[in-house]
Amino acid sequence: MSNFTPKERLLKILHKEKTDRPPVICPGGMMNAAIVDVMNRGGHVLPIAHSDDKLMAELAVDVFTNTGFENLGIPFCMTVEPEVLGSAVDYGSMKCEPKITQEVFSSSSAVDFREFAVMLQTGRVNTVMQATYNVARRFPDIPVIGNLTGPVSTAASIVDPMIFLKDLRRNPLAAHKVMEYVSDFLIAYAALMIDNGADVISIADPTATGEILGPRMFCEYPLVYINKVVEAIHSQGIPVIVHICGNINAVKHALPELKADGISTDAMVNLRKLKEEFPKLVTMGNVSTYLLEMATPEKVVNNTRHLLQEGIDIIAPACGLSTTTPLDNIKAMSGTVKEK
Amino acid sequence: MANNKEELLKQLADAVVDMDEEKAVELAQIIVAEGIDAYEAIEKGLSAGMEVAGRLFEEEEYFIPELLMCSDAMYAGLGVLKPHLKAKEGAAEEKVKIVIGVIEGDTHDIGKNLVKILLETSGYEIIDLGRDISPQKFIDTAKEQDAKIIAISTLMTTTMDGLAEVIRLLQQQDIREQFKVMIGGAPVSQAFADKIGADSYAVNAATAVRLARQLMESVA
Repeated sequence: MSNFTPKERLLKILHKEKTDRPPVICPGGMMNAAIVDVMNRGGHVLPIAHSDDKLMAELAVDVFTNTGFENLGIPFCMTVEPEVLGSAVDYGSMKCEPKITQEVFSSSSAVDFREFAVMLQTGRVNTVMQATYNVARRFPDIPVIGNLTGPVSTAASIVDPMIFLKDLRRNPLAAHKVMEYVSDFLIAYAALMIDNGADVISIADPTATGEILGPRMFCEYPLVYINKVVEAIHSQGIPVIVHICGNINAVKHALPELKADGISTDAMVNLRKLKEEFPKLVTMGNVSTYLLEMATPEKVVNNTRHLLQEGIDIIAPACGLSTTTPLDNIKAMSGTVKEK
Repeated sequence: MANNKEELLKQLADAVVDMDEEKAVELAQIIVAEGIDAYEAIEKGLSAGMEVAGRLFEEEEYFIPELLMCSDAMYAGLGVLKPHLKAKEGAAEEKVKIVIGVIEGDTHDIGKNLVKILLETSGYEIIDLGRDISPQKFIDTAKEQDAKIIAISTLMTTTMDGLAEVIRLLQQQDIREQFKVMIGGAPVSQAFADKIGADSYAVNAATAVRLARQLMESVA
């Protein structure tokens, strides 16, 4: 028998302490495991669970009990923040995640900076907080992960993304102002999650990749603002996981400057090499989501074993899971980690 | 005069590479005033500049913000030059048409827009459907416009099946051979392209241009 509860194990790993084995998790947010198989079993379904706190909590519990992932993850999308900040959102369907239908501002200089105190009572903030509180209270031994949409992705969800990407170069003053505003909002939002029982915060910032921004812009924007959010969360004693999408080669040199406690990467990144290069990084990942969706359980087991052999600190899917991923493949993945 | 012309065209290309929209407009105006052929200025100035920008993008000197600003400079110059194109040049040229869009359920269109810009500057006529587009709409438009290539992207794993659906519908309607289907987007891979039977998979925007050329050569 293990001496660690899943919460102890994950927190210890994020604090760079020894444990019996790596945790196997799927944080939530962009990387959630609310697959169709799980929803059919539990009967708590999206899209309505995106905006109903009880259903959101029950779906998080269904994911936890069915998949074998050792965490509870809230919410199931990346649109709570931009919606509160004014953008129009379509909640999607059972199979299809919510999306921004219209960014609220046409450019960085058009952003209307509003008071957080009022905004934090609007949109689905309360839904997320109630759901977080609900699962945290019921499962004291399971880590509850609160998921944030990263600052660049949030900014590019309230300002037209094509314009925003250009503003990073053309109008840096306005772009920085938007980034400050969004980061301060995320800090306040994360603080509420923590007050309601989140044990870990996970930040996914898919627009802030090295492939999209390149090293110079990555260091000027996401690195600065993700760190700002991370430090604010740290001041509350809570660890932070940051997921970086895509190929990280262009920005790899900057990773040690990221103040996150765990770095999660996409499937094409060789985590063993990354660990060799930066031994202090706590690595998370990166079971191919393509394998998880398309391959047999045996192949998933092999992929997972390989990561275990390489000493990856936290085993997790490499990116957002397809909603049609078979539950058996996910169970093969989590089961492989637990048999160790 | 000849030197002056070559020099102006080079400066125009440089303005695009340097992301200098104002300079591109200014140079385009000078080019018009000097009586230099607008078509040649587009080819040897604006397109040449975008080609360099595309190469810098492939070499990871430029990234998406830079490429978008280059294309803004290019389009600004184009705005000045286009009215001065002689009529026959516009009409005589038979451009290969490509229908492009982001699949239904997805609204992430940065990648699609980049591909569009680079294909456009490489001489294709692009019919941009926009984002959140149903599989049948791709097919209907491609038929109506007599397009040769259907280019579809998605950034979300949850919408990847829509790409397969386009190909299924083409097969069901017995018109699969009429179009080349090119796919791209973060969750998409060569393996996925093979599985659904797409003609090609573009890992990035610069590759998309090369693949479009290859696809057309394979037809010709």
